[in-house]
Amino acid sequence: MVAVLADEAGCDRVTDLPGACRVSPTEVMILGDASVEVLERAVRGDDPDAVVLDVSDGWALVPLEGPGARDAFTRLSELELPASGFVLGEVARIGARVLVRRGGIDLLVPAMLESHLRERIRRDCRGLVP
Amino acid sequence: MSSLVFEGREVPVLEGDTVASSLYRAGVRTFTRSLKYHRRRSLYCGTGECPNCLVTVDGVPGVRSCVTPAREGMHVERTHGWPSTERDLLHVTDSLHRLLPVGFYYKTFIRPRFAWSLAERVIRRATGLGRLPEEGALGTPTARHLRTEVLIVGAGAAGLGAALDAARAGERVVVCDEAPIGSRLAPGPTLDRVRALEAEVRALAEVQVLDRHAALGVYEGPSVPLAAEDELVQVRAERIVVATGATQTHPVFPGNDLPGIWLGRAASRMVAQNHVPIGERVVVAASTEEGLEHLSALVAAGANIVAAVVPSSVRGEVPDSVATIVDGRVTSAEGRRQVAAVFVGSSEGTRRISCDALVLCLGLAPRDALARMAVDEAVEVIGDAALGEQEPHMHEDGMLCLCEDVSLHDIRQAWDEGYRSSEILKRYTTATMGPCQGAMCGTALACVARDLADSSGMPARRAGTRTTSRPPARPVPLETLAAAVHEVIEKRTSLHEVHEAAGARLDWSGGWKRPFGYGDRREEYRAVRERVGLMDVGTLGKFLVAGTDAATLVDRMFPTRVRDLEPGRSRYLLSLDEAGYVLDDGLICALDDGDFYLTSTSGGAGRMDARLREWADLLGLHVHLLDRTAELGAINVAGPLARKVLEPLCNDPLDADAFPYPGHREIVVAGVPCRAIRTGFVGELAFELHHPRSRGPELWAALMRGGWAFDILPHGLDALELLRLEKGHLYLGQDTMPDDTPAKLGLSWAVDIGKGWFVGKPALERMASLPASRRLVGLGFDGGPEDTAELRGMPITLDGAVVGRVTSAERSIVLDRAIGLGWIRSAGDGFPTELRAGTAAARVEPTPFYDPEGVRVRG
Repeated sequence: MVAVLADEAGCDRVTDLPGACRVSPTEVMILGDASVEVLERAVRGDDPDAVVLDVSDGWALVPLEGPGARDAFTRLSELELPASGFVLGEVARIGARVLVRRGGIDLLVPAMLESHLRERIRRDCRGLVP
Repeated sequence: MSSLVFEGREVPVLEGDTVASSLYRAGVRTFTRSLKYHRRRSLYCGTGECPNCLVTVDGVPGVRSCVTPAREGMHVERTHGWPSTERDLLHVTDSLHRLLPVGFYYKTFIRPRFAWSLAERVIRRATGLGRLPEEGALGTPTARHLRTEVLIVGAGAAGLGAALDAARAGERVVVCDEAPIGSRLAPGPTLDRVRALEAEVRALAEVQVLDRHAALGVYEGPSVPLAAEDELVQVRAERIVVATGATQTHPVFPGNDLPGIWLGRAASRMVAQNHVPIGERVVVAASTEEGLEHLSALVAAGANIVAAVVPSSVRGEVPDSVATIVDGRVTSAEGRRQVAAVFVGSSEGTRRISCDALVLCLGLAPRDALARMAVDEAVEVIGDAALGEQEPHMHEDGMLCLCEDVSLHDIRQAWDEGYRSSEILKRYTTATMGPCQGAMCGTALACVARDLADSSGMPARRAGTRTTSRPPARPVPLETLAAAVHEVIEKRTSLHEVHEAAGARLDWSGGWKRPFGYGDRREEYRAVRERVGLMDVGTLGKFLVAGTDAATLVDRMFPTRVRDLEPGRSRYLLSLDEAGYVLDDGLICALDDGDFYLTSTSGGAGRMDARLREWADLLGLHVHLLDRTAELGAINVAGPLARKVLEPLCNDPLDADAFPYPGHREIVVAGVPCRAIRTGFVGELAFELHHPRSRGPELWAALMRGGWAFDILPHGLDALELLRLEKGHLYLGQDTMPDDTPAKLGLSWAVDIGKGWFVGKPALERMASLPASRRLVGLGFDGGPEDTAELRGMPITLDGAVVGRVTSAERSIVLDRAIGLGWIRSAGDGFPTELRAGTAAARVEPTPFYDPEGVRVRG
């Protein structure tokens, strides 16, 4: 996972990349394999101060899989999920990034809170997700 | 046949029984005693509104037995009355009614002041409200969220009809009801209609039915929490339809709370659904269409109706077999253990009719609590819930508020005392404040207030409004409410499992679970002072501030001098608020390219992140901020042999010339890329290694292996407490107060007051001319308790007067004496130096206590 911090024009250049999630006008999070160098080249034309960092260590990915994923999600958050795509908000009272995809939901939470989220899923979503 | 256990005896339970119906069939007539006067109370409303049937079920007090299905083996007890509900000696208070007027408690137990604390306990026990289970929560309900277009509260005929309409219009609908649909209706045409509608509604995919889910309130959104036995559902809807129906009005007349007096729905259900006769001689007073339905149901079930009191307009609809009193009015009831006779006034005078049951169907009161909560929300009220206010039947006196034992006489007396509106009558008399929350008596209170205002020549509309409706609209166990909020969020470093495996005692600190010790605090301490120790400090806040204006942001946000901070150097960082008070501290490291790397305290990371962003916005600066707290771990390698442990593990020079204190470098330790920061919190040579979180266990293991030859030990927060105290370093929060300026903490050296504007500077300048009133000082103790923990928090005294407080105290191992930090106030002509803390002599001392020149830190 790579964080791109740049001004709006810089972020616009990478927003349409595969796995790109626009976190804010000045931040894009790229999920999956992404080259820091390539991204730097892409955004620094517009914003020479742009910061591009691999932040994979800071995030834990906790997937909710299967047909019960959406029901399970309602036990964790009041966010309204899109049919697919990316939303930000509170999940299990943690600031989280949520990616809805075919067949499941990926929850991205700060790494130090992974155990808390997994415990909440174990406790409150029993029978809904594997 | 199944059975429940009622106060030690078995009571049979039949199909469809509630707890109340099974007990009533078994001969129980007194279910509760009233709150103040301990009057006998029996089944009355049958719809879960009134307080008359509250019992304890399986240890849970306050269960409404009239709407609780009876189950095999449940244990039911009555909790009101002393020594028992049947024979309650506290019933004597009813005879003393006139001596216990409304407001008696406020007036009686106010002096001497200790009287209330004693009286409160006695009064609380005398109310008989039961005891909450002491074993903790009864269950662990879950919380979930639901979004819909329409939420319909109430699944009666009106609610189900509205659900059908909305679903047919293409809307997504949720229908909720606190009971199973139709379960509170007596057999008859209304129930038949509801059953038919239910079948239609359940067949629609657009409609989700949540029965056994009680709506607790209407909040902004609109949002409605629904409480069920095992969950709390937070519903957000685009619009809400309140179809909660109406309760039957609670008529007020002398004797109106006697056992044997029923509201029509309760009587009808008991007779027609549970097949339990309610009496041998029954009087029915009915003025509504629904009342006539109940009368018919009672007749059909074989009840002996000795008289029906009805308006002349419906006389023709009364079954021929029933004697009628036309246009009569129930004026009072009498009886000792239960109703024995009812007095009915009419144009022909007042008649006394002997009876053992009186059934009242004298109008409806809209169940509109939710609607009245919904200010400025998209809420529509339909059905009986939208009925206008109808004046209830009231005559002379009688119990107006069954929950709180407030009579009509009490209300009038309160009015005479000057409490002249329904809102303050409520507060003074507590009418409407009991379990029914005004469902039975709210309308009556408003009407009485209006009448009294009218007769006093006051504006009746203002005095007699319905009192404010507030959540929860229905009773809800605390654990259900807590399902949504009772959540402890535990943060863990990447080394959590490593600490567990090492036998660490993990506990809370700043929102994290951290090791406090690994078994031998003294040895952990000695390792740091004499050899080398490791500590997991991954909990520290860590931030990258980058961009053209990074230097401007840190310069203006912090009082620290940063303009001259060269890349590779670091400095102590204070964070102040706009009032000049200390919020947090940490380190600032200057990076190449004009960027900065900051640390904050573990508990202050969230606030630091928010304030950096806030000030960057306010100042309109071009910066990029990245909170790296989650991404980076940190391990502090500290002790005189720290360098010897690290050098074999990395190729970078670590000597004092190449890597001086205070400074930082990017180095690689055992193959793990780290930002190493020379720190001095424990007062020894120390390298704080900030590393990728995922590499933490690997780095820790390498350091432990590398330090094995030097007898390295990990240490926890307990050892750190003494290590930092010997250096005189404070803990924010423990040693500080919310209004501490740097000067009060002895940290003026960390403030560059001569530089341009920074957050808090104007306040510091204003305060600079004020005399110092208190300050944090180092303390040395002589004598006193052997265990220095007893000194923490102890008042500091001067000639017997309290002048401060000890905030930290430890027995220093290296100094072999007790030391501490504490607050002292100015004695006018300066700060005193010779003080006491309990039995200990406390002497103000300069800090650091240990290595005051800082030679070891710079080593």
